[in-house]
Amino acid sequence: MKSHTCEFTAKALAPLVGWPCVVVVAFAVLMHAGASLRLLPAPRPTLDTERTVLLHQADAAQSMHDAEIILLGDSSCLMNISARQLSTELGRPVLNLGTFSFLDVNAHAAMLRRYAQANPGKLRTVVLLMHAESLRRLSAEPYYVEALTNFWSGQDHFTTGTTAGQINRALGVDIFKGRLLSRALPLPLGGAYGRRYGFTRDLESALTAESGSAIDPDPQPLTGTAEYRLAPTLEKASRTLRTAVPPGVTLFVGMTPAPERFAGARYPAQQAGMLRQWADWLGATALTNLPPTLPDADFVRTTHLSEGVIPAYTSSLAKALQQHRR
Amino acid sequence: MLFNSGIFLQFFAAFLLLYWLVRGSLSRRNWLILAASYLFYGWWAPVSDSSEANSADALVTAIWHCRFLALLVATSLFDFFIARRLDTLQSPKQRKYLLAASIVANLGVLGFFKYADFFLHSATDALNALGLSVAPRTLGLVLPVGISFYTFQSMSYTIDVYRRELSATRSLTNFLAFVTFFPQLVAGPIERARHLLPQFERTRVITLPMVEEGIWLILWGMFKKVVLADNFAPLADMVFGDQTYSAATVLLGTLAFGLQIYCDFSGYSDIARGTARVLGFDIMWNFNLPYSATSLREFWQRWHISLSTWLRDYLYIPLGGNRLGSTRTTVNLTLTMLLGGLWHGAAWNFVLWGLWHGTGLALTRSPISNFQFPILNSKVGRSLAWLATMLFVFYGWLLFRATSLGQITAMTGALGNFTAPAWITSFVINLIVFTLPLAAMELWQHKTRNLLAPLALPRWLLMTLQGALLTAVILFWDKKGATFIYFQF
Repeated sequence: MKSHTCEFTAKALAPLVGWPCVVVVAFAVLMHAGASLRLLPAPRPTLDTERTVLLHQADAAQSMHDAEIILLGDSSCLMNISARQLSTELGRPVLNLGTFSFLDVNAHAAMLRRYAQANPGKLRTVVLLMHAESLRRLSAEPYYVEALTNFWSGQDHFTTGTTAGQINRALGVDIFKGRLLSRALPLPLGGAYGRRYGFTRDLESALTAESGSAIDPDPQPLTGTAEYRLAPTLEKASRTLRTAVPPGVTLFVGMTPAPERFAGARYPAQQAGMLRQWADWLGATALTNLPPTLPDADFVRTTHLSEGVIPAYTSSLAKALQQHRR
Repeated sequence: MLFNSGIFLQFFAAFLLLYWLVRGSLSRRNWLILAASYLFYGWWAPVSDSSEANSADALVTAIWHCRFLALLVATSLFDFFIARRLDTLQSPKQRKYLLAASIVANLGVLGFFKYADFFLHSATDALNALGLSVAPRTLGLVLPVGISFYTFQSMSYTIDVYRRELSATRSLTNFLAFVTFFPQLVAGPIERARHLLPQFERTRVITLPMVEEGIWLILWGMFKKVVLADNFAPLADMVFGDQTYSAATVLLGTLAFGLQIYCDFSGYSDIARGTARVLGFDIMWNFNLPYSATSLREFWQRWHISLSTWLRDYLYIPLGGNRLGSTRTTVNLTLTMLLGGLWHGAAWNFVLWGLWHGTGLALTRSPISNFQFPILNSKVGRSLAWLATMLFVFYGWLLFRATSLGQITAMTGALGNFTAPAWITSFVINLIVFTLPLAAMELWQHKTRNLLAPLALPRWLLMTLQGALLTAVILFWDKKGATFIYFQF
């Protein structure tokens, strides 16, 4: 017995399948043309927590600001210091330009250059703060470096390593998301960041209100390897950052604390040696009077302090800076 | 395999090609459907380790998951032979025993995989509450995906044969293809044998309107899943994943979940029906604008229709239905809904959800509900009835989504807390943006009383609308494919 008969021709079927595809192609053409002819707004793909923080800080770095002190660094700089409190304690405006740990000192140098260009003559002090864990990283993650440079140059950020990425690029998906969706709609953040900050737009508002500082809402067990060293690539990157410091501006460098028992008894001495070497490469003043470790209970993860401890640690940073200013 | 995954697109394209190639032979076509359905099922990872489905060694994973496929084959074979015997046996007593064997076997397998750990856990809790120190012990069973759906589908076949409403099929291939038909295998609709099985036994005519309907349903279903449900999901997760609540977050979070589960499940059902339609099959509508219901009874006539009619035909009516007086009707309704709740999963919140709806349905049958209030026939009355029904249904979703009794208590208590988090505006914006297309479509369908209302549009407009849906699906597509909620049941 026959399985089935089709009471239609291929010619009748073609528009059913073809026309929707034509609409998809027309949309892709519109997106690409809109981007090329600058009819669409500039890309700002704040589509998740990482990119929202990164692009907020990148935008802050190129905007007019009254900050005389800027903080640069990894996520421990972003999450462990309250820029607003520091500003109150020092009596001078402070801006935190810390990002997540996927960037390196070269990217921080680029941030500094941008800020100095956008705010000529304002800057007095630069404080570079990183965690010992970040200093052993050989390089930044190319995806985020590209996201940063593309944002500053007004280019769309495409993920082209995969077939899906290439299809997305061709169909204008990245253009739509980066230029229209992220601007038109606040997107929900995942997990603990979602519960604390809500949506991308709310995270941006919180970062602006806190002069660039954030709080880690996602407690994790203290895991990882307590092996600390300076990556061989750090020397060159540090010297690059030195060249980005405008004349007359003081550069301080410090290392954010590690959990006491996790890091081990030998860590404070090791940290002092690392900090000396790093400050030497940077030609910076080392903030040797910051605590190298804090009790394990003060941390939400190996690199981030819990919310209740941030004010005390910020005060110790303020004191350390004031001591050097005297 | 997920409908909203890249692998399904490849699978379906290859299947269509082969389907066309074997069009000359009915038996070969059914063999192809059977083989494809087993591949579709075998490819699927069980709920607890779904990440494996996307890994590079998906084939190895698929082979490993063949143990679940073996279970599916075994239960289908058992029911096939039981039904054949039921068909030939004359002795009512023997027939009854045989049916009982089928039901015990089916519910035994379902109960073992789905409820063993729940009952062990609950028994341990109860014993500990009585002061006996018992160490918690569970079997750690992984739930085979779709087991609740295919078990009920297979059971309905043997029951229908027992009732002599259907003759047992002689073709094992056709029966296995009926139980495992891939468009509706893992999340329904729970088809009846008397509707679907004969379709495997005759030559079908596939017309252009059938293909049009199929394409529309696939696109609209995909849109509901990928664009709507998957964007409501993080909103609901944000509220239900938290530990502090306010009236605003509870109301909006529950609303988001109610919309998510509807778009997710009805999206799946639409894709299932659409896929079947393109292949020339007709499977039942599982949803009929449930959020337009103005009474709880009407809601259950419109929500998960294949399950509610299954429960009606194979549980509520055999229990006596409404024929044995009002008390017995109340008991039957409550029991049916309680078991319907438990069908969804082994957790107390599902029991509560079932009881909530059972009690609600019983109340709508109470003498006071028979009193005719003139206002209820007015527009305002109908609006109030709709609002009351939705409030009831959505509070039910809170019970359904909550992860513990403590959370239910906390969220219910928070309805008196009139504060709101800073992100509430962003939440509302998202809710409005993603509800609008759904509301517009459903109003149109409601007004025209036609679930396929868009097919009446001029051809160019329909196809442009389909193009817009396809574009939106591509824009929001998650290449990993977010799983469907009902896969866990």
